[in-house]
Amino acid sequence: MSNAAETVQEEEIDLAAANEVIDKYMDMHGALMPVLQDVQEAYGYIPEPCVHLIAERLNVYTSQIYGVLTFYAQFHLEPRGRYIVRVCMGTACHVKGAGRIADTLKERLGIGHAETTEDLKFTAEYVACIGACGMAPVIMVNDGTYGSMTVQKMDEVIAKYKAMD
Amino acid sequence: MVNLTIDGKQITVKKSATIYEAAKEAGIDIPVLCYAKKLLPYGACRICLVEVEQMKGRLIPSCTTPVTEGMVVKTTSPDITKVRKTVLEFLLVNHVVECPVCDKAGECDLQDLTFQYEVVKNRFEGEKFNLPTDEVNPLIERNMNRCVLCGKCVRVCDEIVGYGSYSFINRGFETKIATAFDRGLNCEFCGQCVSMCPVGAILPRPFKFKARPWQLSEVDTVCGYCGNGCTVTLGVLNDKVETIRFNDKTGVNDGNLCIRGRFGYGYIHHDDRLRKPLIRKDGQLVEAEWNEAIEAVVKGFNKAGNEKGLGILSGARMTNEELFLLKNLAKTLGTGNLDHSGGECYKGLTEGLMETLGVKASTGTFPQVESCDAILAIRSDFYETHPVFGMVVNQAVKRHDAQLFIVSDKKGKFSKLPHAKTLLGKPGTEIQILNSMAQVLLSEGLAVTDGVEGVEELKAALAKYAPADVAERTGVSVDAIKAAARALAGAKKSAILLAYGLPYAAHSKELAIAAANLSILTGNAGREGSGLYLCGEKSNSQGAIDLAILPEAGAMGAKDMLEAARNGNLSALYVVGEDLLTSYPDRDKVEAALKGLSFLVVQDIFLSPTAQQADVVLPASSFAEKDGTFTNAERRIQRVRKGVSSPGDAKTDFEIFELLSARFGRNISYTAPAAVFADIAANVAEYAGIQLDAVGPQGVVWGGDDLALKKKRVVAVDGPEAPQGDFLLVTGSSLYHSGTMSTRAKGSLSVVAEPYIEFGQEDAKKLQVTDGDVVTVKAEGGQIKLKAKVDRRLPQGVVFAPYHFASAEINRIYKGASAVAVELSK
Repeated sequence: MSNAAETVQEEEIDLAAANEVIDKYMDMHGALMPVLQDVQEAYGYIPEPCVHLIAERLNVYTSQIYGVLTFYAQFHLEPRGRYIVRVCMGTACHVKGAGRIADTLKERLGIGHAETTEDLKFTAEYVACIGACGMAPVIMVNDGTYGSMTVQKMDEVIAKYKAMD
Repeated sequence: MVNLTIDGKQITVKKSATIYEAAKEAGIDIPVLCYAKKLLPYGACRICLVEVEQMKGRLIPSCTTPVTEGMVVKTTSPDITKVRKTVLEFLLVNHVVECPVCDKAGECDLQDLTFQYEVVKNRFEGEKFNLPTDEVNPLIERNMNRCVLCGKCVRVCDEIVGYGSYSFINRGFETKIATAFDRGLNCEFCGQCVSMCPVGAILPRPFKFKARPWQLSEVDTVCGYCGNGCTVTLGVLNDKVETIRFNDKTGVNDGNLCIRGRFGYGYIHHDDRLRKPLIRKDGQLVEAEWNEAIEAVVKGFNKAGNEKGLGILSGARMTNEELFLLKNLAKTLGTGNLDHSGGECYKGLTEGLMETLGVKASTGTFPQVESCDAILAIRSDFYETHPVFGMVVNQAVKRHDAQLFIVSDKKGKFSKLPHAKTLLGKPGTEIQILNSMAQVLLSEGLAVTDGVEGVEELKAALAKYAPADVAERTGVSVDAIKAAARALAGAKKSAILLAYGLPYAAHSKELAIAAANLSILTGNAGREGSGLYLCGEKSNSQGAIDLAILPEAGAMGAKDMLEAARNGNLSALYVVGEDLLTSYPDRDKVEAALKGLSFLVVQDIFLSPTAQQADVVLPASSFAEKDGTFTNAERRIQRVRKGVSSPGDAKTDFEIFELLSARFGRNISYTAPAAVFADIAANVAEYAGIQLDAVGPQGVVWGGDDLALKKKRVVAVDGPEAPQGDFLLVTGSSLYHSGTMSTRAKGSLSVVAEPYIEFGQEDAKKLQVTDGDVVTVKAEGGQIKLKAKVDRRLPQGVVFAPYHFASAEINRIYKGASAVAVELSK
């Protein structure tokens, strides 16, 4: 309503998918979480126009949605890469050189924790423990797990995903 | 009731009370940071821990724990003190210590507690936050480094205001209070968060560095803007209103205020305030002394009396005492041509209600609305016209699950309340929709008809308002009409809300009747706890009606006076506290009327466009500069108190009327407004028996909480069709402004600085209009240019422009109809 605050340029995106998700859960009590999850599924992240749309259609304050989005680590407000590389930083992996693995990733792709390559292909995430200490040091790329990582193996994994679409 | 012991004292309180509330009632102080009496219990800050004998082994948060029978509570002990001290130490781990520069110093709860519990050193060490301060908006500053996460701002914005600006974001140590996407605050700036914040995290920017709190003297008075009649507490230093402060101990507003009340006080000390009388000499308005000005007025009025006569048009922001003097002055001057605000609007409404219910005021009080099961809000969004009443409705819906129906041409904040149903009709068709609801009640046998006159005639007349037909004409669905009618009929307690004022001049009599019909047929009329609420636009609209600032039988009302002036059948006009040129419908006609007069006197606090046309201008005082009473929209008479002196030679309307009366041979010697009030009580039936001294902090509601009706008579009225056209313009109030006065208030202007025309998103897209584009609006032979504003609430084909701004000249094309068909081009 007011003209007091700064104006924010909203990105232009197609809201059809978000509308479809909202339609699906519209009459459900406590629809916000599933709607946010499915919208993220559809867009890979939660674009700002979708937040406004959800707020309007579910009649929830935008600020509340933002509170939920920043509370849960599962939600992302920035576009993410097609391949999420999770580098385990747990005790076992740490002892066996997780730091070197993370450094290699940074050297090869130029991305550190929570960063995404410009071509939106890779996102790096350093995670606490992925529960595969026997395979330390370990990384995951989307659902695939790669254990006993070395610098050389790291290069192979990166090359494999680089070659994929 | 429950009996318990607190600190050895036997206490009996109601079952729903918490330990904290019970202690407070008994005069026992328990410290709190996150508690506020109007918010739901939250229990976040842990400073209010107490010992309960029956719950040994741990300390109990008193603000969230309900009392139980036989409970034995201790509010102080070495253990409690130790724990409270530790809680404070924790709070001070991250909290910056910058009290010397913090505006809250001296009235900061955290500071006071730190002092009280002697927290002189901290056993814990931690990183201080270094978050940037939000200074994006001009009114509210947020410094989250001082925040203690009590959540009061989040809660008040949700529970009371219904805007939802804030939320807790992130988690763990990183948790903070922020807006969506953690941007600068961009809300309606009511400042409720400012009043709630117990520390210096949220501050009113206009008050920054103006005074230390202990230097201010406090004056409780009534807000000068709308008919809600909120109590405001002026913080005065050196004869200047520096701030409006939170006060939940007096008035009906629980300390709640809107942007106008809290930040719109700037006009009181505006540089443009009139300081001396002005007299037109050789075509120019030049400063003069009072004697000379009064002589000029006397001469002009006398001359007019001998020619075609004199008319008086008043605003509705004067005190009851002043209105009473004005009424008497009119008699002294020998004219019955007397009216206030907006031509037929007020008069029509009064007549409509007299015809149906035999009264001319709201039949219930605002606090009753909170416990209603069904609420029908007619016309514009109450959040904009009467924002603090809007907050009552918000609580009725959110806390008590009231069903809310809104008959309106645009969506608003009401429409966003949980399960609110908006009967979104074409502009100007409200009467048809109300008629249709009445038709449903009668045809489905739901109507209360015992002791009601005129039922058969109404039944016959409503034949053309069957829901199916009305749905087609107005665009509201048949189901929606039926559901609203049935819900209202089925409610044990209901409220029907109708806002009126200058922007809603058309068909006001019919609208009042249609609303009253519904009130009678649903059983709302005359039932305890239910009511029909007429919400006048200005602070003393109801007072002006009560004191009959209306044309005498056979005399001219506002519209007729202007018509007569235009035709040379009226010689002089005395305009008191009203800017006809800006706010009356049909500017061309008003201009012609003013030109047609041989003598014009304007009494105001600014040299308004109307005053610029005057022969004599008399400088008056604002509400902050006088004593007296206002009567708000629920008939509550409240004390207005003087906080500061008037600028220059300006006089109160009271003093000016006395001066004039004396010069016309009627010496009145009232010592003070109290004496006039006694006279009012003796002359106005409704005020009989009320003594000014008895008007306490909560005011006095004349007629009692439930006003006795004189009759119940339903009357058939017809509602107009919506005008034809691709785009229909409606005008009205914008939340940030009230009448034309707020356009001189810095606070309101800093949010909405200029006139605009609002578009819905679809229309904006279709016309390729974006925010800030200049749009030409053509209608009724006139043409104006306005800046565009795009928002989400307007339906397709409807545009909205607020009427407050003189420069917009909205009334070149708004001639009094509910909606105007307009042509729009970039």
